Amino acid sequence: MLINFNLNHKPVSVDAPADITLLALLRDRFKLTGTKEACEVGECGACSVLLDGELVNSCLVAAPSVMGRNVVTIEGIHAEDGGPNDLQRNFIEKGAVQCGFCIPGMVLAGEALLSIKSDPSRLEIREALAGNLCRCTGYMQIVDAIETTAKARAEKHHPEKRED
Amino acid sequence: MAKFDYVLAKTLEDAVHLLNEPNIRSIPLAGGTDIYVAIRVNPIWFDRLVDIRRIPELSQITQEGDVVSLGAAVTFSHAIANPILQKVAPFLVEACSTIGGPAVRNCGTFGGNVSNAAACADSLPALVCLEAVAHLRSPKGKRQLKVEDLVTGPHETKIESGELLTHFTFKVPPEKARSCFIKIGRREAQSISRLSIAVIGAVDSTGMVDYIRVCPGAAVATPVRFPHVEAVLLGKKPDEEIITAAAEQLVVDMIVSTGRRWSTEYKEITLKAIAERSLTKIFLEDGQHVN
Repeated sequence: MLINFNLNHKPVSVDAPADITLLALLRDRFKLTGTKEACEVGECGACSVLLDGELVNSCLVAAPSVMGRNVVTIEGIHAEDGGPNDLQRNFIEKGAVQCGFCIPGMVLAGEALLSIKSDPSRLEIREALAGNLCRCTGYMQIVDAIETTAKARAEKHHPEKRED
Repeated sequence: MAKFDYVLAKTLEDAVHLLNEPNIRSIPLAGGTDIYVAIRVNPIWFDRLVDIRRIPELSQITQEGDVVSLGAAVTFSHAIANPILQKVAPFLVEACSTIGGPAVRNCGTFGGNVSNAAACADSLPALVCLEAVAHLRSPKGKRQLKVEDLVTGPHETKIESGELLTHFTFKVPPEKARSCFIKIGRREAQSISRLSIAVIGAVDSTGMVDYIRVCPGAAVATPVRFPHVEAVLLGKKPDEEIITAAAEQLVVDMIVSTGRRWSTEYKEITLKAIAERSLTKIFLEDGQHVN
């Protein structure tokens, strides 16, 4: 069936079987392999994408159900020049990336949190990452990267009130 | 060839019609968080998914007078952020916040949680305490069933094929009631309940219990209230002794219902502890105020 939606801010149209997941659609049809396939039962968060701005497990989303909606994958998260954005740079600087497999999902979970909460506590960051598993880092560096980004963004948008 | 088809229902009437088209086994799709897991391990038992997520009235939470209506396609994230539920059913909100992680809560719905009817479904104990009524619609018309009666066993309900669960209604609990939900899982987040309990209660002007609802989760085959436990508390001053007596009654009643099983040794200790803890919370500590 024909599925029209916005993928990484651009309108796309694809003919796909009705029974595939959004994960399969992204990886197999669009070759966007930054979205990782791992548990496929919504436990690990490696396949996280943003659907209309909300974090979802793309392995549990029916591909045709994204008709007319906005999907953002890790390939849609970058700075204006196409390089890593501030959050992604902080992941690198804080040592939050080891094997890297979980990182696309972690970055999207971070962006989903920062889009609704500009000054999250460390507990709130950890809660936002609760569905994203990492076997390498022990999570602390990932929390550091999101916390640092939140503070820097708050300062950039509200230089006069640091605590906001 | 695709193993099943997909169709988007635009209205409630549309959804009921699509679910009942002859010669095509159709089931409703809302968040997908149970269906897409199930089809990875089970043979596919349907020909078509009828997507009900974009039917506006199924995603509404409203209050008219003392009746709250909760759409079947309301997500757990939506519920957690909803001021009506935060005010009148804080233990339901608490239960929703223990489900999965953010990505699962952004998709998973009340209708799905109830109709999937897993023994460990976290929204069920609080819905049963609230005496929530499920509203069903089919070409034959509408019918209503208490959630407690709707669920007949693990993954079994009285929802008939072609019938759509549209919403739940419940009466706002009495003023001054306090509620509590406790879940025991293997870790704090993204975990399946080993045991849980929802309680809501209130005392009268003389300090005696005049309202109490107790429903454990994952303890017996279906989420039900425990009238003997409630009877221990009703009309009494809820001190430590009575709370312990009620918790012990709950364990006795659980074993009557399930028999002694391999997990009983664990569950009798744990259920007593969370029953005491939750009842202490609402009667002797700072349980979440309703209203």
